Amino acid sequence: MRSWLKMIKELTIRPKGERKVRKSPSYSIDEDLKKPLSGQTVKEILSKSSDIVFREFFLQGKERIPCLLIVVDGLVDKNLLDEFVLKPLMVELVGHPELAKATLSNVIDITIQSLLPGVEIKKISEMKDAVSSILSGDSVIFFGDSSEAIVIGARGWAHRGVNEPIAESIVKGPHEGFAETLRINTSLLRRKIKHPSLRIISLKLGDMSNTDLVVTYIEKIASPDIVSEVLKRLAKIKMDSVIDVGYIEEMIEDNPYSPFPQIAYTERPDVLAGKLLEGKVGIIVDGTPIVLVVPAILTQFLNVNEDYYQRAMTAILSRFVRYVGAFVAVVAPSVYIAVTTFHQEIIPTDLLMSISAGRQGVPFPALLEAITMTVVLEILQEAGLRLPKPIGQTIGIVGALIIGDAAVNAGLVSPLMVIIIGLTAVASYAIPYYDLSLAVRLIRFPLMILAGILGFFGVAVGLYAIMIHLLGLRSFGVPYTSPIAPLRIRALLQDTFVRAPWWALKSRPQLMDVEEPRPNGKG
Amino acid sequence: MKTDRSKEQKFILILTVFACLLFLTGCWGKKEVEDLAPLLGIGFDVGEKPGTFLITQQFARPKKDSSTGSEIEDRTFSIEASSSREAFEKLSKVTYRTPFMGSLKVIIFSEDVAKAGGFNNMLDFAQRYAEFRRSMYLVLAKGKAQDILNLKLRSGLIPAMAIKSNIEGGDEISIFPTVRLGHYLTILGTKSTAPILPVVESVKSGEDMEYKADAKNEAGEIRIQSAGVMRGDNLADFLTDEETKGYMWLENDVIHRLINTVDLEENSVKFGGQVLESRTKYKVKTNNEKKELQYQIKTSIAIDEILGLKKQLSGPEWVELVKEAEKDFAKVIEKECESSIKKQRELGLDFLGIGRHIEQKNSAYWKTIKDQWEEEIADFSVSIEVKVTIHHSGMSSSSATNLVGEGQD
Amino acid sequence: MERISSHQFMVLGAAVLMGTTFLPIASMVTGVASRDGWMSVLPGFAVGIPYSLMVISLLEQYPQKNLLQISEILLGKWICKIIGIVYILITGYFGGLLLGQVGDIYQSSIMPLTPIGMFYLGGILLVFCLIRSGIEVFARFSEIIFPLIVIALVLNMGLSMPRIEQGEFLPILSEGIKPIIWGGLKVAPFAMEYILFIAGILTFLPTGKRELAQLKRGVWQAVFWVGFLNTLVVLIQILIFGPGETVSLVYGLLVLGKMVEISRTFAGVESLFLGAWFGALVIKVSAFFFTVNWGLETVFNLKGLKWNLGVGVVFMGIAFKFKRGPVLVMEIGFVDNYLILPFASVWILTLWGISRWKKVAGIS
Repeated sequence: MRSWLKMIKELTIRPKGERKVRKSPSYSIDEDLKKPLSGQTVKEILSKSSDIVFREFFLQGKERIPCLLIVVDGLVDKNLLDEFVLKPLMVELVGHPELAKATLSNVIDITIQSLLPGVEIKKISEMKDAVSSILSGDSVIFFGDSSEAIVIGARGWAHRGVNEPIAESIVKGPHEGFAETLRINTSLLRRKIKHPSLRIISLKLGDMSNTDLVVTYIEKIASPDIVSEVLKRLAKIKMDSVIDVGYIEEMIEDNPYSPFPQIAYTERPDVLAGKLLEGKVGIIVDGTPIVLVVPAILTQFLNVNEDYYQRAMTAILSRFVRYVGAFVAVVAPSVYIAVTTFHQEIIPTDLLMSISAGRQGVPFPALLEAITMTVVLEILQEAGLRLPKPIGQTIGIVGALIIGDAAVNAGLVSPLMVIIIGLTAVASYAIPYYDLSLAVRLIRFPLMILAGILGFFGVAVGLYAIMIHLLGLRSFGVPYTSPIAPLRIRALLQDTFVRAPWWALKSRPQLMDVEEPRPNGKG
Repeated sequence: MKTDRSKEQKFILILTVFACLLFLTGCWGKKEVEDLAPLLGIGFDVGEKPGTFLITQQFARPKKDSSTGSEIEDRTFSIEASSSREAFEKLSKVTYRTPFMGSLKVIIFSEDVAKAGGFNNMLDFAQRYAEFRRSMYLVLAKGKAQDILNLKLRSGLIPAMAIKSNIEGGDEISIFPTVRLGHYLTILGTKSTAPILPVVESVKSGEDMEYKADAKNEAGEIRIQSAGVMRGDNLADFLTDEETKGYMWLENDVIHRLINTVDLEENSVKFGGQVLESRTKYKVKTNNEKKELQYQIKTSIAIDEILGLKKQLSGPEWVELVKEAEKDFAKVIEKECESSIKKQRELGLDFLGIGRHIEQKNSAYWKTIKDQWEEEIADFSVSIEVKVTIHHSGMSSSSATNLVGEGQD
Repeated sequence: MERISSHQFMVLGAAVLMGTTFLPIASMVTGVASRDGWMSVLPGFAVGIPYSLMVISLLEQYPQKNLLQISEILLGKWICKIIGIVYILITGYFGGLLLGQVGDIYQSSIMPLTPIGMFYLGGILLVFCLIRSGIEVFARFSEIIFPLIVIALVLNMGLSMPRIEQGEFLPILSEGIKPIIWGGLKVAPFAMEYILFIAGILTFLPTGKRELAQLKRGVWQAVFWVGFLNTLVVLIQILIFGPGETVSLVYGLLVLGKMVEISRTFAGVESLFLGAWFGALVIKVSAFFFTVNWGLETVFNLKGLKWNLGVGVVFMGIAFKFKRGPVLVMEIGFVDNYLILPFASVWILTLWGISRWKKVAGIS
């Protein structure tokens, strides 16, 4: 037991950055990137890729300067390049007084300062920058064997537009959602918060994927401790690739062994803007519409932004329904087991009779019955999740008819059990965050088993153990269960279980009053 | 990496232990709901051997019925035993289900058991064993408890359930006391008050009412009426219906009552009505050196029925009539109360709880008479003051009357 | 260093002070003071106030030190060691007995067939989790559980209102004031258990001037709330059972829970209430676990997982030794009246007296 505990402890307390990650396999690439910058070397490094275009041309200045334009086909706006880069340089500007002065040594400055229009043009002198610019979709022009080059931002590629997010649908409120492109996403955010204190800090992650990501927050609202903690944790990540935020999420969360989500996510700019204004920090990663929001607290996973768009009274009702739903989803099967096998006295006599009659001839004990049915429910959910839509409906029919009705008629399960399972399933759909509903599905099983062994005592032990676990969690230094414990009375009354009307929400949420963040998580 | 391996092994070991714990949990007090036999009623009769009781247990037997969901049948056993546990032991040899006490609704003591005494011992099981709850009802049975529980009622209800619903509907007529186990024990705890239990009896067709019975000469209905006064756990005497009604007034137990003045002789106009609310207050007064307990009953009644009205009344006459009705009702109530007090004096038993009232109002005085209270009961003076308010007299201010002179002798 | 806020101190204190006092208290005070028992609850708890204020004034003089360390400064190393050992023994023994109460309550009231060890095991596991998570998590735990307990108590009492017997309330003070004082004396040990806990928690308390005032107010609030709730508990039991029955029911409130009926349908919700009572017991056992830990750490400098496990085993051992319900209840009463009450009152009075005397002597 002791060593087991120790093992768990060791696993949990290992500092974030040192967690073992697949090492970058090809060291030589990095070697190449340390070479001095020149067009030919870049050409060598990027050779054997059919999507990379090498366009060689001459610039007629004071002398004839050989130029090399390297772009990735499909990532650049070719019209833009043709019209505003190649055409001026090769045709229109020939004979231009400035161009006439150009030699190999000053051509770059002259080009940037006087020849090329366009906002995103800059000079670089590092091989690393050149290669990553090209691969990110920028166009790079090399001049002769100069050790400097020009980067022209003329990106343009096929991307999904701003659509309504499927996973986070909403009735009343803005319907736009984030896309896969980082810039689009930051622009969506910027359009919501037009204030100079919105900070968008760029980072790159992933040795191979070189994924762009930004950390965004509002200066003076977000706690500087949390921002620096986020940046620190991100800096520690060493991975090959970051395909989705999920990679990052697991690397920076406080307790990876907890089933509960400690980082919130959203696909909606309005939600992100709202959270930033509450003092949270967003992490937007290129290539995914999912944006991480930290720190997260438990109650936040049961509250949705739509609450703020509805009238306060109705918002309170729907929050109440969600909390009740979450509770029912956790305890319904275990309460059924505890009540029917240990605490029959709690059932009104008439109901007792009908439960008893319903269970006549059911061959399994209640515990097994409930576990089987819950497993069936899980399978149904999992099966229906990834099926193409037309087949998906079949799952519903099979589930409802065969597993529900037929099983009851065949006397395999009692009718009440089917009702309980149905109730559980519906209740768990009332949880707005998918991550939390997964956690709920997970903790349902141990609770059922405890109920089967010890009745309500077991359920109480289980619930208290979960509670202690939750109380010990932190997300970036913020206790997971605040504002309930530690109690922040204003936040609790204004915006936790209820939502006060907007005119009453005069001050910013208090939940951010941060205790000292702990780099190693686990407080 | 040697430690890693041993850790892994230990982890697997622990998992296995947990798995074993899960699946070897055995019984540990676990019983599936369909394996229970819910106990609905227990009846106690005197057994043949001295010191034993004939214990009748009524269980429900839920039956699966595809059309209506479920149907309850009863399963009743009578066993002679000297303790409840012994009875259950004998019973377990027959039934294949665990008796479940949590659903027990009534405990019935037959007249004979009550007269023989000693049933408080039987109640100890019910107040000690954790599955029972103190909210179950206690009743006395006229005749044998076994017979009552074995009745086949025309309503199709199980007798125990029928008694329970009868008692719970009792608020509406307030003519018998409702005694739960907890209440009974509390009364016993006061030491000065004598407990009182309602009486249940079977009603055969032809006794008070007629109906078409399923079987000849067998009762198909059950009723609860009047009460029995206990001295300790010995039945001292049954109260009559009127005395019980008086008890209900004096104990402030009347919630709703149906009441009529038909039995009053002096008046020609009779009233029937229902009590809407009633409240009894107690006062200890000093009447020239002697203490006296005064009951103040305040009640409001709605008139539902007026009999013997000979002519249409004018407004002022109507007001007069209502005043008369108030007086009549007060008389009826007083009469009921007095009969009850008379009974108390006859028996020398304080079932009305007068001692407790004195203690509450004047505890210093109570201390002086506490020890000889038994003797005091017979001549402790009690007065009653009844105040009736007629709330309304129904939908009509007149009655269906014959024309003057017609149809009358 | 872990810290708890003054609000948390208040709630934690209230939760520890409350513990499961509401279960035996009615039977205890009614046994002495009969119908007037309910009046002796609040004065009984109030005994805790002067003592807590003394402890807090000691904290003011010696911030960041627990009472054992203060004893070392004031009384010398060896006396402190003796006091420390007594402190550890008493709190450890009492904690074990309370763990035994978990089993007793569950087994006697709703689950008679389950092996009693499972209840101990469930209880000690939770306590252990709390201990390992530290005082902050413990404080938060009580912040959630205490309101739950209060709600459960109020519900339990409110729902059993219809069972109130007529005229069990009067007469008031028919026996004079004396029984109430004796009743209060029965309650005082509960307050002393609380003092023993405060003695240890001192190191985690804030010591700013404003916070100290809040701590003092916290003590008042905790004592008042707990006293008030317990008064209600006793009162409702007397009203429902009458004094005679109240005395004879071991855990009257559990019986009350059994009598609850919600619109004549749902009866027997006591197993739900028991969940809340279980939380209360977990808090109380954890509190004593903490005191033992603090004692061990201060006196012998023993800490860490190994010793926690050791204390856990000792708790289990004590619980298993008192499997018999009535013996357990007797033993808890004995420890309360003859160990905790005299030890806490003498110890704290002495410390406070000496520190006062030193202060005065130092000035003059």
